[in-house]
Amino acid sequence: MGTIMGAILTIPPVAFILTPIVTTDVLGESDVGDEWREVGPVSEIPDDEPKVFDVEFPLNQTYGTRSVQEESGVTDKRFSIRNAVWLSWKHEVKQEGRQGSAGDELGESMRPDFMDQKSEGFTEQERQQLIDSINVLSNSCAHLGCPVRWLVNTEGEGEFLCPCHGGIYDINGGWVGGPPPRGMYRYTEVKIEEDGKLYVKHEYNVGGENGPQRPYVV
Amino acid sequence: MIGRLRSQAMETSKVLVDWMENRTGIVTILEHFLYEPVPKRGAWLYTLGSATLFLITLQFLTGILLLFYYVPTTDHAWNSVYYIMNDAYFGTLIRGIHYWSANFLMAVIGLHMARTFFSGSYKAPREINWVIGVVLLLLVVGLAFTGYLLRWDQDGFWASVVGIKIGSYSPFIGAYVTHFLIGGDAVGPATLSRFFALHVWLLPAAIAPLIGIHLYLLRRHGEFGMESEYTDRLAKLHERQRLERYAGYEEDEDVYEEERRQ
Repeated sequence: MGTIMGAILTIPPVAFILTPIVTTDVLGESDVGDEWREVGPVSEIPDDEPKVFDVEFPLNQTYGTRSVQEESGVTDKRFSIRNAVWLSWKHEVKQEGRQGSAGDELGESMRPDFMDQKSEGFTEQERQQLIDSINVLSNSCAHLGCPVRWLVNTEGEGEFLCPCHGGIYDINGGWVGGPPPRGMYRYTEVKIEEDGKLYVKHEYNVGGENGPQRPYVV
Repeated sequence: MIGRLRSQAMETSKVLVDWMENRTGIVTILEHFLYEPVPKRGAWLYTLGSATLFLITLQFLTGILLLFYYVPTTDHAWNSVYYIMNDAYFGTLIRGIHYWSANFLMAVIGLHMARTFFSGSYKAPREINWVIGVVLLLLVVGLAFTGYLLRWDQDGFWASVVGIKIGSYSPFIGAYVTHFLIGGDAVGPATLSRFFALHVWLLPAAIAPLIGIHLYLLRRHGEFGMESEYTDRLAKLHERQRLERYAGYEEDEDVYEEERRQ
């Protein structure tokens, strides 16, 4: 009897406040919509440095959930989450570094030669090659989620630097220095359309050797 | 004439106070809670606890006032803070007091703790009060953390992002801690609502009774170094020494008796 009374008194309030844990961790749902969003034309990516693009994903959370918005008649207001996506050409890794002691030694840019001739209307094969040679990186630092940006020194060498605790990454998003336990988060769902633009979904390379840490807050 | 009025007024108030005292014992309680012998040396350091209490009271009062205008939604939180700061009368003052007393609170709590530590006031029989004090410190840190996000500006937003992600490094439960604080898997309306609930209800409701217990235990045991404590201890010591001395005499007498028999 005591057990039943205890359960009746504790389960509803606990389940009430732990709803997000159940939906995210047990049911595996995400608050961010599973939609393709446009990043930008691949022809705009410079040769030797990354370029940042603003991407908005729809956010379905509590009173921002689409069904709730429609029911209440406030359909014109859509909640969204803004990501800064860094695009750059992959650079060949001459020698792999070791997390915590040294970064990768980088070689030449892997920009395909056909990019000099055209900026759209790529064939299927060319698109695959493009996807394989472009870094699609999240600006959320793998340490504590601050926004990283590309800084260039007086000798023209650049790197991603996090303003909060000094995490440093190379142009491929690989770890170079500072507290981050891994390289930058990569978008895993990437496609390039006929119009020569790159599209992403809100998915990242998490798990396995990349560790369980996720970019929770972007 | 004036003298008579004054004496009459004093008479009336004395009657009223006595009336209350007979029914509630309020005067005795107030005397008990307001008068406290403190050590002569470093007496000013013993006001740090009262300073903490004063600042927390300020937090409660200005916080209640701020709630009249603050709106805890992502699309209006910043605007409502802007309204408080620019349009509401004395808004800058009210929010300024809330902000600065929160900052000073952390510093004063640190000093209060240091005083308690260096004067040894955490020793028996006051250990529980130290433990409750530490819990209070953690609750205040929680309040400082959750309050930062409510402004919903760049500063508070990114500081909270960093704070939330620190939780993600907890062993085994990192993801759960983060998702609980965020209210999902992306910082948004749910996060602001949660931090609001924690900041204005859960943590204050937890802190208030603990402050009560903290004060009750303080009055029960007094500040460090009460004279009576030493008198008692000295009396006990003398008593023990006296008993030991007598025990010695008795042993000596036994020896004499044994010698006599032989």
